[in-house]
This record gives sequence, C-alpha cells and structure tokens, in this order.
Amino acid sequence: MKSYAKAALAAATVAALGLAVSGCASDGGQAADDGPLTVWIMGDSGTNFEQLVAPWVEESGTEVEVVAVPWDGIDERLTTAVASGSGPDVLQVGLSKLRTFADAGALLALDDQLAEHPGLAAENFAAGIGGEASAVAGEIVSIPWVSDTRVLFTRTDVLAENGIDAPPTTWEQLRADAKTLAARGEGQYGYYIPQWDSPLPVVMTWSNGGDIIDSDGNVDFDTPEFNEAVDLYTGLYADGSVPTNSDFDQAQGFISGVAPMLISGPYLAKTIADSAPELEGEWQVTTVPEGSASATSLFAGSNLAVWHNSTQVDASLDLIEFLSEPETQLEWYAINGELPTAVEALENEEFLSDPLVAVYSEQLADARILPLVPNWDGGVGAELLTALNSIVLNGEDRDAALDSLYAKTEGISIN
Amino acid sequence: MRTLKLTPYVFVTPAMLLLIAFGVLPLVVALAVSFTDMDISGLANWGNVGFAGLENYERLFTDPDFWQAFGNTFFFAVIGVPAIVGASLAVALLLARSDSRFYRALRSFYFIPAITGIVAISLVWAYLYNTQFGLFNWLLSLVGVPPVQWLSDPLIAKFSVAFVAIWRGTGLNIIIFLAALQGVPKEYTEAAALDGASTWRTTRSIVIPLLRFAIFFVTVTTIISWLQFFDEPFVLTDGGPLGATTSMSIFLYKEGFRLNQFGYASAGSVVLFVIIALITALQLRLRRPDVEY
Repeated sequence: MKSYAKAALAAATVAALGLAVSGCASDGGQAADDGPLTVWIMGDSGTNFEQLVAPWVEESGTEVEVVAVPWDGIDERLTTAVASGSGPDVLQVGLSKLRTFADAGALLALDDQLAEHPGLAAENFAAGIGGEASAVAGEIVSIPWVSDTRVLFTRTDVLAENGIDAPPTTWEQLRADAKTLAARGEGQYGYYIPQWDSPLPVVMTWSNGGDIIDSDGNVDFDTPEFNEAVDLYTGLYADGSVPTNSDFDQAQGFISGVAPMLISGPYLAKTIADSAPELEGEWQVTTVPEGSASATSLFAGSNLAVWHNSTQVDASLDLIEFLSEPETQLEWYAINGELPTAVEALENEEFLSDPLVAVYSEQLADARILPLVPNWDGGVGAELLTALNSIVLNGEDRDAALDSLYAKTEGISIN
Repeated sequence: MRTLKLTPYVFVTPAMLLLIAFGVLPLVVALAVSFTDMDISGLANWGNVGFAGLENYERLFTDPDFWQAFGNTFFFAVIGVPAIVGASLAVALLLARSDSRFYRALRSFYFIPAITGIVAISLVWAYLYNTQFGLFNWLLSLVGVPPVQWLSDPLIAKFSVAFVAIWRGTGLNIIIFLAALQGVPKEYTEAAALDGASTWRTTRSIVIPLLRFAIFFVTVTTIISWLQFFDEPFVLTDGGPLGATTSMSIFLYKEGFRLNQFGYASAGSVVLFVIIALITALQLRLRRPDVEY
C-alpha cells in the first residue's frame, strides 16, 4: 500500500511539466522528414507486423520502427504521448478507444488526403466500418484495419446429450436450451455472460431492432427494445442458467462443458483448438441468435490512424494504403490470425474455405460497431454493466437500477 | 560579530529540494488543477482548460460513487488497522520469547509476504479464492460446505481483499515491534519476576506500556496506508464487484486515468489528503507525553 494518491499527484505534475516542455519543443523539435516511420501496434504482435511490412519497406525505402504497446497500457501511453506532444506517425486504435483518441486531438483528420489515396475509400471496406461510420465529429480520422466479431460457441456433444439437436438460432430458444442444460445439476450452467462484457446488452438491443442512440445522436436506453434486452439478460440469471461468480473462466467453462454455450470472439476458437484439441468436432460456431428483428452482432476490431502532428503524413498514408490491400490483410490473417476489413479479402475463396472463417465472415456482414460515445469503456459501458449486474447479482430493484442508468447516461452525445 | 551559519542549510538543502519537487509541488499542482475542468484535451492544449471554481468539489460531494468509495475506505480501515496492529504485536511478542534457530527462521517466514511482489501475491490469492477451482472452496467442499463466492459477493469480497492486505501488512510491523522489544530493559522484567508476576502480567503491565511509542508509530503508519488502500483491490477485484471494494485511491485512479478527468480526480486527491492530514494531526495531538521510567 504505497502512496498512490501521491503517485497521482506526481503524475499530474509530470504531465504539467511535460506540457510546459512540449510547449517549447513542438515548434521546432519534430523529427526530420526522412527519419523512420514510427508505428504503434497494440498487443504483442510487433514482430509479426515487422514481417508484414518488410516488402513495403524494401519497395519504398522508408524504414519502419514498430513499437508494440500492450493493450492494458494504452490509456497511460496515450496520456503521456498527448501531454508530451511526441507520438508515433501511424498507430493502431481499437474501435472502443477511437473516440477518446480523437477527442484528445491525437488523430489527424484525413478527409483532405483521402482523394489522393483511392485505396483508402470507404467502399473498399466492410459495411458499417469505413468512412462516415467511424468518423468522429464528422471527421474521418481512421482507416479500417482488422476486424473482430462475436459469434455463438456451442458444445454440440453436450447439447446432443440433453436432447438439443442444433445450436439455438433465436434468443428465446437459447434461453430455453440454457435452462435445460443448467438443469444437469449443481454447478452446471447453460450459458455464460461475462460480467465485463458491456457490448452484449447492446447487441441484444440491436437484435430486437432497437438502438441505444436516439435520432438526435444522444444515448437513450429508455426504449422498449432495450427493455426487452434487459428481460433477456436478467431472465438468463433468473433461470439459474448463468454462473454468478465474477472469476468464472470462459475457456475453462466451455472446455469442461460447465457452460456449453457462450458468445465470444474468434480468439476463443484459437484457445479451444490450442488447449483442448481432443474436443475437435465436438463444438461449433454459428452466428449470434436472432432477437425479434435480426441477428446482428458486434463489429469490433481496430483502425489505423495518423498522429496529429506527424511530419510524414504522405509516407504514413502510403503505408496504410499498403496495409489496406486485400493481399496484405490476408497475409496478416495468415501470420497473426486477425480478420481482414477489406471487402475483397473478406470475399476471398481460399480464406472462406475454413468453416470457422465462413461463419465469421457471414457474421461480419451483419455486425455493427458500438456507438462512438466518449469513453465507452469507463463511462456509458461501465454504467450499463453496473445497472444490469446490480439487478442480477445484488437483487437491486429493476426499475430503480434502470432509472439511475437513464439519469446517468442522459444527454451524452455521439456528436 | 556573528557569522551566518550556513552549514545546516547546506546539509538540509538536498532533502528539501527533493521534498519540494516531489512532495510539495505536486500537491500545489493538484490543488490548482482541482479548480479546473482539465481532461485529456486539456493536456494537449492549454486553451481547452477552463476554470471551474468549486464545481469539482460540489460534484464530488454529490457523487454516490465517491461516497461508496469513502465508506469502503473507512470500512477497510476499521477492519484492517486493529487487525494489523493486534496481529503483528501478538506475533512479535511470541517471536521474542526465544532466540533459537527455529524462532529466527520464523521471523523471516513472517516477513516474506511483505517482500513478495504484489502481482505474484494476487495470482496466488486469486487461485486460492477462485470460486470453481480455488483451494478454499475445495477444502470447504470436503466438509460439505457449498462454494463461497470469495471475490464475487460484494460483502465477502471486502473481507477477502482486506485479509490479503492484513496478511501482507503484518510482516514489516512485526519487525518494528521486534526491534522495539530489544529496547525493553531486562532489569524491569527481572524485577517483576522477582516480585512473582506471571508472564502475562509482565507483558501487560511492563512490556506493552514500554512499547507505547512503537505501537503509536505502527498505528499512525497503518492508518495512513489503509486510507490509501490500493494494491490488493486493484489486482484482485479491480474495485468490483459493483464497486464493493473500490477504495478512495481506486476511485481517484479510475476517474483520473480511465476517465481522463484530471480536474475531478485532483479534487478527490485533495480531499483524501486533507482527511489523512486531519486524522494524523488528531492522533499526534491526542498522544499523551511519554512517561519517564
């Protein structure tokens, strides 16, 4: 228990000092134009990325310096880079962080440059992600890079043992099946809801044909579609179909069959294949269940952006254009397992020959990005989870919890 | 004519400079920032920082999350301070009874938690507490007790997190008490033995009163550290479930570094500083002057 309050104060001072210093430095202190391009890649795929860009480096003669930024260090890294004024040239931005980065003024508006780079046009990318769809305050600040979605994972063997022939295709079916599976006994469940998964209730709302943003661009949870989603979310808990402990491990739960159905991303398929190869053929992925309107899922993933005061904007955009080519994105899938965003890559036959990929690709065609509200993870998303989890875990009064959610998120705008 | 005595100032300067740079200045900056609406766009450009007056403080005192964190912090302090002071004093008194090899080994044993990295501690304890695969629930299952949600139940999680902090916090204080016990003159205990006092009576009436300063020191530092409670809930529960283990420091960290509300977080840190300063000043005031033996 060290003095964290003091640490916070110290950080504030360092930030303040950084400001003072950057005030002097940002005028003339930029790197020379011919220096290497600095690229921030999230996670631990830096080495793979160097391999990916090697052909471009050779062709263009521009060196690329790759910096791997760990996912959970992004906020701190951003804060220091903004405060000191010295960031990378190109950076990967997770869609849930896009708004925060753009609001901080860290990303360069690309609207004027796009005409010179036809490869970056919105129509080259999956629907609902490029151009206007991921614009912040009317400005295009990023180019789609990798995509990620949520699909339904089911243990077909466990389902079959309990008389369920096929994975559920509607939420109603899923709830009934989950109840059947949970009835297998003490400590057995039918479905798993991660307690940190704030997009899930939004996906449920979408599948009922609703949205959490009203026509004026304000966050609005007070809709019949969201209320239906809440019924589903709380109903799964009320049925006893979902584990209530926050330390439940989804991969372990799925492999052991304790939670034989859950919604997750492609990374879970890799985890299962790696840690339980003996289950091959006993599980499958399908598109997410349908609500009263559609089977829409979440479009997650990352975009690429140019740092606001990069001195090598042209070279940066050339690199991004190279990374947007379908061949590059398929190569990236091959070496790093992340799904492409370019339409041509997503329709590539060889790519689609993998049955898992075919499902992901089908789901990506009906997937949406989370609304770009300021600070989803720490703000609206956190409030949403607090409200729902307080009902299902603490037995809080449903109306009171939802009223408090409406009050806290009222007036937050995506514009 | 008297010459100006520079020497003491020369000796004091390095420490003073460090204290001003890393202690006083951040405090002043935080105080200044707490009156603004500084956020991340303000970091990028001073022009986006506006004067907010007392707005941050008004918001703080009407924020239910702040009051929850405030209540949690005092809950932790009320459990943790007596537990740490009591446990470390008791262990130190027992360890001081002998100087054999076994007892010396025990001393290092009790000190191990204090020098183990918090990340390793959190990994091990998260496994011990795990609802499905944890050792505790496995042991309970042997005697037919249903699984306990150590870190998922809002009330139990408070105790689970506090217990790890108590386990980790006693080591250093045991060393402080052991050192203080060395300073208890043998003559007093021998005199008491000659008068026929029992061991318990000697401990209660002679040893513990002589340890008064050590007890005071340990109490003050322990209270301060519990008011700044951060590490254990941060690594074990991240303040959850539903804010049940969010201490004031975690609340400030989240507001400042996850929500980028530097002005608001600074206001909170000023409030926390004032609370700690007041409590410490009160303790110093209440402390009775040492009795000379």
